[in-house]
Amino acid sequence: MGSTSIVDLKIGAELRSAPRPMTRERMRRYVDAQPTVAIDDGRIHTQPPTIHDDDAYAKKQGLPGIIADGMVSTNWIQGLLFDVFGRALARKGRLRTKYIAPIYEDQIVICVAKVTAKARTETGETAYQFDVWCEDDTGKKLTVGEALVYAPAA
Amino acid sequence: MAIGGYVCDLEVGDRIGPVEYTMSAFVVREYSHANELHHDFLQGIDDPLAPPTLIHLDKLRLYRHGCPKGTGPSARIHYEYDATVHGEVRVGDKLSVSGVVSERYERRGREYVVMEMELRRATDNALLIVYRDTSILAYAQKSEKK
Repeated sequence: MGSTSIVDLKIGAELRSAPRPMTRERMRRYVDAQPTVAIDDGRIHTQPPTIHDDDAYAKKQGLPGIIADGMVSTNWIQGLLFDVFGRALARKGRLRTKYIAPIYEDQIVICVAKVTAKARTETGETAYQFDVWCEDDTGKKLTVGEALVYAPAA
Repeated sequence: MAIGGYVCDLEVGDRIGPVEYTMSAFVVREYSHANELHHDFLQGIDDPLAPPTLIHLDKLRLYRHGCPKGTGPSARIHYEYDATVHGEVRVGDKLSVSGVVSERYERRGREYVVMEMELRRATDNALLIVYRDTSILAYAQKSEKK
């Protein structure tokens, strides 16, 4: 079908992020965001040790070391879609992600969104269905899921 | 009914909330910054809105409200995020979030808990986000625990 939306992607098209190492600092920022958001007083807050920022605590929980909170990879996938669709992504749609493998310190993460279907809606938007995932630099999938994004008409 | 105790004791049918709060620019900017979402409509000052993924921290908001004793003996691990967005969440919106534990099951020695949540605009009850969260109550399998 022809498209008059702000974005024109063909079925099979892939959006890919630049590779990012899942550093200790990136993991810790999500840990700190949790009490900071909860307290919401304009200052940064921290919390007791977690499996995302304390090796000894993570090992006590049966892990080999700290692992990233799954929401970091979900947010990076969301960021890839924000880059293309802008604020329309926050207006209507769906994102589902499942964390199928832990992401360890300094593991490389690449986010991918592949168009699997597209259709024009009655209101003139283009609905894109994506398979989304995060993979490491060997191609191993770490996070998998799907997204439904509505691109408004131009 | 396990409301008032630990998160790990939540049972199917337990309802938490509604809890009301107002979305602040500080929360949106800090969360977006922490997740490398450097977009003007999130971190700017001109009609900013919240990234839908912030709903995940509303789960923690509900846990604090309904489970004041804390997590329990083991760290939870997030397993699945599933959010359907029906409307924008804007900075300044007064919001109401509620949740219900819809499933609790064991698979390969690990216990899973599913919470289904709704985020609504408190002023007109408009549905903004429906969220289904699946978490594992402990990484170690039951057979591994000593």
